Amino acid sequence: MSLSAPTRPLACIKQAIRQCRLERQQSRRYAAAATEAQYPSLQTRYPPPTPGFRPSQAIKQNRFETGMKKIPVVPPPRSTTKACPDPIAILTNTQISVLDPTGARTRLFSPLNPERVQAGDILLVRLRTGDPVSGTVLNIRQRNQPIDTAVLLRNQLTRVGVEMWFKVYSPNVEGIEVVQRREKRARRAKLYYMRQARHDVGSVEGVVKQYLRQRSGGPMGSRDAKGRDANAGRKNKKKGKK
Amino acid sequence: MPPRPAIRPSILPPHFLCPSVPRSFTRTLKTIQPTPRTRTDRFNHGPGLPILGASKTAAFLRKEAMLPLRTGALAIKKGMTAIYDPTTARRTACTVLQLDRCQVTGHKRRDAHGYWAVQVGCGTKEARNVTRAERGNAAAQGVPLKRHVAEFRVRDAAGLPELGSIVTADLFQKGQYVDARADTRGMGFAGGMKRWGWSGQPASHGNSLTHRAMGSSGASQGSGSRVHPGKHMAGRMGGEQQTVQCLRVLKVDKETGIVVVHGAVPGPKKGIVKLQDAIKKPWPEVDLSVGVSKMGSTAEALESTI
Repeated sequence: MSLSAPTRPLACIKQAIRQCRLERQQSRRYAAAATEAQYPSLQTRYPPPTPGFRPSQAIKQNRFETGMKKIPVVPPPRSTTKACPDPIAILTNTQISVLDPTGARTRLFSPLNPERVQAGDILLVRLRTGDPVSGTVLNIRQRNQPIDTAVLLRNQLTRVGVEMWFKVYSPNVEGIEVVQRREKRARRAKLYYMRQARHDVGSVEGVVKQYLRQRSGGPMGSRDAKGRDANAGRKNKKKGKK
Repeated sequence: MPPRPAIRPSILPPHFLCPSVPRSFTRTLKTIQPTPRTRTDRFNHGPGLPILGASKTAAFLRKEAMLPLRTGALAIKKGMTAIYDPTTARRTACTVLQLDRCQVTGHKRRDAHGYWAVQVGCGTKEARNVTRAERGNAAAQGVPLKRHVAEFRVRDAAGLPELGSIVTADLFQKGQYVDARADTRGMGFAGGMKRWGWSGQPASHGNSLTHRAMGSSGASQGSGSRVHPGKHMAGRMGGEQQTVQCLRVLKVDKETGIVVVHGAVPGPKKGIVKLQDAIKKPWPEVDLSVGVSKMGSTAEALESTI
């Protein structure tokens, strides 16, 4: 390139810059060629494969069936296992949504809940048929599905140790109340040692009675039989006023 | 009775006594006369005889009344769970089965194969992993390749759905009964106590080192000083087909392919289970076309690939 315009020096500079850029690009290209020559293993000998190319398929079908009649393959129908990989979870969840619409039971035993029921707590289970049952939690068991979550309560009835399993989601169980939490977290998941005489906590009847009195809003203390009477008296007073 | 000649050749007097009677005449008579069938056939054969009880035909006819009218389905065992009845609070243990790409891949015909059966396949396989022979067979039937294939016997040709038909979960109705047939879990080489439920031998009372042993395998001279055939012993346990009859269907969902049956089904999870109408219960009163839908696109898809 000729720099033949001394009358306009600035134009000359512009041209010179362009020239410079071109030369730099060229020198880069040469440099790249030089590295290729230096590392022949980096050069591609064949054109790269098309996207979606599967070598295993290509090898197997081409190696053995060259020149043979091609056998058509009917495409398979829609897969239900892909559409629904875990049908048991669906079945269980529909069950739970019917049996526990508020989600209270699930929360009570959910491992994510810090306030969940743990071994050693005292529970009161209200049943649809018969009296409520209370006891210390010895074990919380979930067999293969969460619908089978169950809790083992131990209590003493007439000085005889009694243990009962309750299915948490069973329609027979109307409600589960936490009467008392264990002060310190049990260091075992299963407190079966409490069956031994020296570890047995005995009857939890007193704790439960106190809890019930407290919950009903009655006076605390040892006035056992007065709750109902007091209520009755109030009612009578009201009637008298009227 | 064939007509007899008036003159019997044996009754004729000798030739020298009556030369007028030509010899050729008596010979002719002999040739005309049909030979009497005195010896009857000692073997009972020919058409119109009753079928022998030990024959294949008799066996087929005996079983015919017990054979289901409809085809069955191949299902995958997904696992067990429980269903509660909210009103009665009854908990029912159940097994969840799932139908996946269950399709009719072949027919067995009485004239060609000796019995009526529907060949059903489930799952799928990649064509590159399948031999050319198997691919050719599938293409000839016009059906896709199948991972598992099984046969379901049916009573007659009416129970054979069209080739390529997709068997869906609504083949079974809620409340009907099915038989589930599957391979049990393999236990490997198991001792007699585990395999046959023996009670073993005492732990103490002088017993030494033989607590789970088989004990005696039979009497001595009284039973011929030999081990009788079929004696229960230690050996390979499980891994063989078992049928559980009359399982009630609790739930069916066509979209997800779920069939939930009451109770347990043999085999491990992800195992293949054959389901068919229970043979010990009345057949479900449904149309034969229920749950078997024509794929429709089979032949067209095949033609398009060609």
